[in-house]
Order: sequence, then structure tokens, then C-alpha cells
Amino acid sequence: MEKILNKKHIDDWIAALDSWDILGPVLEDGIWAYQPVSGAVRLDHPNTRQSPKGLAFPQREIFFKFEQIKGEAPRLTQVVPDEQRHAVFGVRPCDGRGVPRMDLVFTDHVEDNYYQARRKNVAYVGLACNKPPGPNCFCLSVGGSPVSTDGLDVQMTDLGDRYFVKAVTETGKGLMTAAGKLFAEPSAADQKQVEQVHADAVAHPQRAVRNVEAVPAKLKASFKSPLWQELARACIGCGICTFLCPTCHCFDINDEVQSKAPLKGIRVRTWDNCQFPDFTMHSSGHNPRENTGARLRQRVAHKFQYFPENFGMPQCTGCGRCVSECPVGIDIVAVVNKVVENAG
Amino acid sequence: MPDNIYLPELARIAYIKDEVYGERAIKTFRVEPVDGELFEHDCGQCAMLSIFGRGESMISIASSPLIREYKQFSIMRVGRVSSAFHDLAVGDVIGLRGPYGNSFPVDDWRGKNLYFIGGGCGLAPIWPVITTAVAQRANFKNITVFYGGRTSRDIMYRAELEKLRESVDVHLSIDKAEEGWNEYCGFVPAAVMDKDPVPDNAIAITCGPPIMIKFVIQNLNKLGFKDEQIYTTIENKMKCGLGKCGRCNVGKDYVCVKGPVYSWAVLKNLPEEY
Ligand SMILES: Cc1cc2nc3c(=O)[nH]c(=O)nc-3n(C[C@H](O)[C@H](O)[C@H](O)COP(=O)(O)OP(=O)(O)OC[C@H]3O[C@@H](n4cnc5c(N)ncnc54)[C@H](O)[C@@H]3O)c2cc1C
Ligand code: SF4
Ligand code: SF4
Ligand code: FES
Repeated sequence: MEKILNKKHIDDWIAALDSWDILGPVLEDGIWAYQPVSGAVRLDHPNTRQSPKGLAFPQREIFFKFEQIKGEAPRLTQVVPDEQRHAVFGVRPCDGRGVPRMDLVFTDHVEDNYYQARRKNVAYVGLACNKPPGPNCFCLSVGGSPVSTDGLDVQMTDLGDRYFVKAVTETGKGLMTAAGKLFAEPSAADQKQVEQVHADAVAHPQRAVRNVEAVPAKLKASFKSPLWQELARACIGCGICTFLCPTCHCFDINDEVQSKAPLKGIRVRTWDNCQFPDFTMHSSGHNPRENTGARLRQRVAHKFQYFPENFGMPQCTGCGRCVSECPVGIDIVAVVNKVVENAG
Repeated sequence: MPDNIYLPELARIAYIKDEVYGERAIKTFRVEPVDGELFEHDCGQCAMLSIFGRGESMISIASSPLIREYKQFSIMRVGRVSSAFHDLAVGDVIGLRGPYGNSFPVDDWRGKNLYFIGGGCGLAPIWPVITTAVAQRANFKNITVFYGGRTSRDIMYRAELEKLRESVDVHLSIDKAEEGWNEYCGFVPAAVMDKDPVPDNAIAITCGPPIMIKFVIQNLNKLGFKDEQIYTTIENKMKCGLGKCGRCNVGKDYVCVKGPVYSWAVLKNLPEEY
């Protein structure tokens, strides 16, 4: 399904999606974030600070409540994610491509009930990138594109005074038919224009991970390279690179006690990440990943070696957040290229 | 949500035994279902044990899969959750989810000689294999158990090991000589060499501190054991047991799913520290 939406009708479209909670990019204190919007949706953001991964995989997820009166058996009550549907507007293609990668992790081997319960109620309405890419975008070199529809339910392309809107999935079709009369059929000229806009978007030069198919073998051969520690020396282990990553899925599980007698509390999943020293530290104090080099190697190898070995594609989608936001300037593109180059 | 993979079932502590006292205390627990039945497991698999308000720990299931009435765990006091276990009493209720990980391919070992080599807390993960093999004694040829502790007070399952002598060869060892100890004195790898196990038609299963495993395997190789004849386990920090929390990987594989049991032929090709 391909349609044309006049820009002045976008708010009407959103109003027509009354059974959905709508999120869109909002600029607050200089930071773009997906937030609930009711009226006007502005789709002129570069990209948001955080990817929309938290919709299906929130930073905090309560699994269950526990309660125990002394001398009795504990009582557990599951906390089930609510059934409200969310449509998130303005998702950039790199973040769209994060979605199927998260799906793979949370459905491989066994399905994660919490992720699935949320995921099935999220629709990703994407916005093709038609401006020159940001200084740290490198989607093309990792198999993506500024106009990729991978992981999206709907793709919108800005044509000036109107959007070219394309349904990618059945869910996307549903979102569009909900406001059928607002959309017009695209003319031959619209078709031509959207093709041109897409062709121009892909032609913009970007930074690049060189020869991504060859990277897994090169990284494997570089496991013991002294470069890891050299390149990671400045890392302060803040975890920003992974928290902002649209595909980092690591988590911790902890009990939070709200009352001691009677015992009351919750078991909670929270985002965690491989850049923290205690991520892999045993109770004995022994840590198999004992320095920042080993931890940088894990992050890079997971994205560019282990995930490709398991699923046939890099986990990284080239959004560039970890490069832009790292407080000490550790740059995954430069790291991969350098390690690969040194592997000979 | 049916089949919630993170929701533990409840189990009641039916039996507690002090195995080892002191700084590295170990207690053995047997748990029974509060309702219905507990899950089935295979030799070598683990479970996530919960004490609500404290958290979860991954622990090897130390009882044979043939025992359906209870599951046994032997837990060393090291931190938040394991210490809370040491404070439990019979009748207390804990949480349990699992089973997790792969298992020892015991069925493939029919007709073979089995050598078990354990050290310290490492007897628990191989105990289900030992007791299953003994329960199916006719399926295997010679069964030999080597087990060592730092001192005689660090020997766990002491009474069970004595009973085991009725059907298999048991060789105990302690690191340094003590009065009244008439078995081997020295480290486990040396205790194994002392008895000269024969690699023909044999499988060796070893579990214990990493440094012990390393030298046991070196010695087994010297004795002519091939890498495919040697099995061991690895322990990484774990939170989910399901290949999702991302912390237990060695290379591309999550140990909670593809491990913890590995043949040395596979394991020796993986990096030592990952
Ligand atoms: C496959 C496997 C089998 C195990 N079998 C046994 C056993 O039979 N008996 C036994 O006593 N111990 C066993 N352990 C080790 C046991 O899981 C840890 O000692 C225990 O989780 C420590 O938790 P804690 O809360 O007491 O310590 P803390 O230091 O307070 O730990 C905090 C958290 O860190 C994690 N953690 C810390 N160290 C480890 C570790 N070495 N392995 C896994 N998770 C860790 C746990 O998730 C724990 O909740 C096994 C570990 C693994 C991976
Ligand atoms: S291991 Fe590190 S790089 Fe991989 S998903 Fe987890 S936090 Fe991200
Ligand atoms: S953002 Fe930079 S400093 Fe922070 S953990 Fe990642 S690499 Fe290290
Ligand atoms: S324990 Fe979570 S991935 Fe293995």
C-alpha cells in the first residue's frame, strides 16, 4: 500500500489512531526524545538521543511481586505488561533495523514473555533519511540504508509539502486504513520524486566500516591483539555506548525489597552492559574480562563477530550514537577498521 | 502469562546437611515441590534458585535425574544469595526455575570405563552422573572416582562416598598430610597419576577449581587420553540462564545454553578468558 499524505493532515491521521498511544520525537532541553504526543507531530528531528528500543524492552521491567509473612510460604504475583498499543512516529531506518535484531535475541532458544507481550503492541512508523547523514552515520556499510524499511511497519518519506507513505507490514496497513480518506493515491510524478529522493539519500557519502563481511574472521584472528587495550585505555566504563545502542539487550535481574516484615518486594529486570567491570565478575573477585580492553573487545566482537556468526548479519545498524556520545571519544568505526587492518 | 520463563516455582527445603564448615562452608539442600511435581532434568544441568528478597543464583543439580521426589543442591557460602541459603531451615520455601544448560552424554558412554575426577565443590556437578551410573551399574564397565579436598574437613559427601565404595573404586585425597589420613596426600592431578588410569575405552569427567582442571587434563593427555575422551564444565557469571541477559558468553555461545558441559576437544579451542 502506497499513499500520499498532505503534511497538514498528519495530525488528523494521528487523531484517527485513537486506540493507539502515539509517540513522536520531541525536543526538550536540547535533547530529542520519543514522547507521547496528542496533537502535532513534528518530523524534522535528526535522530533521537535514545533509540525506541525501550518500548519493547524497557529500562526497568517488573517481573513479579513477592510477599511473605514469617513462617508462611512466599506468594508470587506476576506483573504482566499492559495491552495498550503504541505507535512510534519518526523512527529512523537504523533504529528500525534494530527491531528484528532484538526480536532474534528475545525469541532465539526460548521466547521472552515480557519482550513479546510488549513487542506485539508496538508499531514502528519510520521516516526515511533524505538529508545528508550525520557525521557519525554509517548505516550503508553495515548492510542498511537511509531508506531501509527493515523492521518498520510504515515508511514515510518527506516530499516537501507531503509525505509518501508506504505500508511495510499488515500492522502498517492497519494504521493507514484507519485514516483512509486522508490519504491520496500517488501520481506518477510522486512515484518518480520518491525514487529520486531515495536515490539521492543513498548517494550521500557516509563514514564506513570497511568490508563488513570480512570483519568476523579478522576479529576472530585478533582476539589476543594488544590493540584492544590500547584503544580502550581511556574508557571510563560508563556504559553510555550500550545504553544508547538500538541493539544492546543485556540485562540484570535483582530483588528490590520494599518492606522487611512482612517481606514485600519486586523482582526487576534492568538494563545492564558489558562495559561495567562487575558484569562478568565472579563472587570470588575473579573477572574473566579483567580490563577495559577485554570489555571493548566484547562489545565490538558481539556486534561484528558473534552476532554475525549466530544470525548471519552484523548486530550494529550504524546509528552512530555510541560514537557521538562516548565521553572519551571511543569510536567503534575506527576501532573495527584499525583492528581489522592490523590483522593483516 | 502462562509459561513465564522468569517466574520460579516454589519448592520446600526438606533436608539440610552441613558438608564443610569454615570460611568456604558448603551445605547440601534437598527440595521438594510445594505443589505438583518439579521439572525433570538431565545429568549436568543447573537451576536458578531464588531466595525472595535476596535474588537468584545458578546452582548445579546434584541429584540423579532418576530421583523424582526431590532435587539436591550443594551450595558454597560466598555472597548475597548463597549466604542466605546457609541461614535457611527445613520447611522454608525457596524459588526454583530450570533446568538450564546441556548435559553429560551419559547414554553414549554405555559399555565404557568411567573416571570421575573432582576437587572441592566440584563434586556436586558430577554427582548426578556418578549416582546415575551406579544406579545403572550394569551399563558401564569400571567406575573410578577420584576426589580431593584441601583438608579432610573439606571433603563433601563423605558418608555417600564411603557407601559408594561398595560398587565402585573411590580414591580420596587431601593436599597435605594429616594425622589419621591413610589415603593419598597431594593435589588431585597427582592423585590421578598415582593410580595410572588406562585410556582404553574410557571417559574421564573432571570438575573443580580451574587450576585443578587444567593440570588434571594435562595429566590425562600424558596418560594417553584423547581430548574427545575428556569432559568438564565451566562456570561463568549468570543471571538469566536463557541466553538473553548476555553475560555468560564464550565467543558466540552462551554457556547457560550451550554449556556448562564441554568435551575438552571443543573447549580447548575456545579462548581461556573471554
Ligand atoms: C553453571 C553453574 C553452576 C554452578 N553450580 C554451583 C553449585 O553447584 N554450587 C555452588 O555453590 N555454586 C555454584 N555455582 C556458582 C554460584 O552460581 C555462585 O557462587 C553464586 O551465584 C554466587 O551468588 P551470591 O549471591 O552468593 O554471590 P554474590 O557475589 O553476592 O553474587 C551476586 C550475583 O552475581 C552472580 N554470580 C556471582 N558469581 C557467580 C558465579 N561464579 N557463577 C554464576 N553467577 C555468579 C549471581 O547471579 C549473583 O546473584 C555455579 C555457577 C554456574 C555458572
Ligand atoms: S554484550 Fe555488550 S555489546 Fe553485546 S548486547 Fe550486551 S551490552 Fe551490548
Ligand atoms: S561510552 Fe565510551 S567511555 Fe563509556 S563505556 Fe562506552 S566506550 Fe567506555
Ligand atoms: S545467563 Fe543470561 S545469557 Fe547466559
